[in-house]
Amino acid sequence: MSILRDMFTALRGAGSDIGESIIDANAVRILEQEIRDAEDAIGKARQSLTRLKGNEIKLKRAVNSLEADVADYEVKAMEALDADEQDLAAKVAERIAELETERDEKSTEHKKLSDEVESINSMIKNRNKIIQKNKRELEKIKTIKELQKTTTSISSNIAATGSNQHRVKKALERVKAKQERWRDNMEAGEWMAVEDGTDDLDRELKDAGIGSPASKGNSVLERLKAKQAGQSAG
Amino acid sequence: MENTLEDLAHSLNMTTTEEGTTFDALLTEAGVLEVVCSNNDEFPIHIAKTEAQLLAVTPLFNVSEVQEGKADELNAVMLQLSPAIPLSSIGLQEGNYILFGAMAVNTKFENIVHELEVQAENTLEVLDAIESLLV
Repeated sequence: MSILRDMFTALRGAGSDIGESIIDANAVRILEQEIRDAEDAIGKARQSLTRLKGNEIKLKRAVNSLEADVADYEVKAMEALDADEQDLAAKVAERIAELETERDEKSTEHKKLSDEVESINSMIKNRNKIIQKNKRELEKIKTIKELQKTTTSISSNIAATGSNQHRVKKALERVKAKQERWRDNMEAGEWMAVEDGTDDLDRELKDAGIGSPASKGNSVLERLKAKQAGQSAG
Repeated sequence: MENTLEDLAHSLNMTTTEEGTTFDALLTEAGVLEVVCSNNDEFPIHIAKTEAQLLAVTPLFNVSEVQEGKADELNAVMLQLSPAIPLSSIGLQEGNYILFGAMAVNTKFENIVHELEVQAENTLEVLDAIESLLV
């Protein structure tokens, strides 16, 4: 019935191996067949629904028109009575009775049809429910199938690493070491950025002639020139 | 947006996340996309696709790698860890413990990337937590 229950049974029977039993068993075909059947049934139901709905609308219209006629004749019957035309009024009353009988017949027929439309609609809904449920079940089966595909490569991966001893531990250590290096590099990068920033500031100061060796050199030269000028004067 | 695994591989190989993670994605012969995330390149994520879902599976370890007599303890711990891991669940698939996430096939690419990045991170955290129970 449900794929999960099948899995449970298979797991209990075979230990840890779900195996091909559930996947390739007729489960998929049965589910797909049920979906197709339900879709066919819905297709047919929709066709007859179109026809029934057409008839239903026609009948409804007939009932409405008969009701209008009845109302119309009732007014006329009253007018005849007012004009004291008793015979005429009786004839009109007879017509009204006929119309009402016809209206009731059509109305019953209409009710029957609309019930039928209703039940076909709910049948379609039920079939749709089956389709959706089966599609979900199929999705579960396909999920297991796809998981098995990934597992196949997993097993070969683990086997390929050779010795299982400390496999996870070693891999974890490698990743951690790599992350450590990455963090160190990042911090180093940030440190470099800070250093570069300082260089920029120095350059700006130098450009402005503040605190730079060049300007110091210049002032020394000026001082010496001043000294020389003083000596030759003296 | 519904893409093939090949499209996904191509997009992943071109991507760098805000955290700087890059991806190395390869479609295997089995039709499974093997993705190595740069934030954890030891435990690749295997992506498979059904009509409705993308399944992201990271193999953690084999039953045979659990210390003798520790299986029950490990299983209990794993079950308790599972709800605490965002976007991933823990599972057992044919003798292999796996971390997996499922996404709708029409999941936006940015969200797939995020999920993979988180799954790679979760893998490390889970293994780090239970390492002492493995051989």
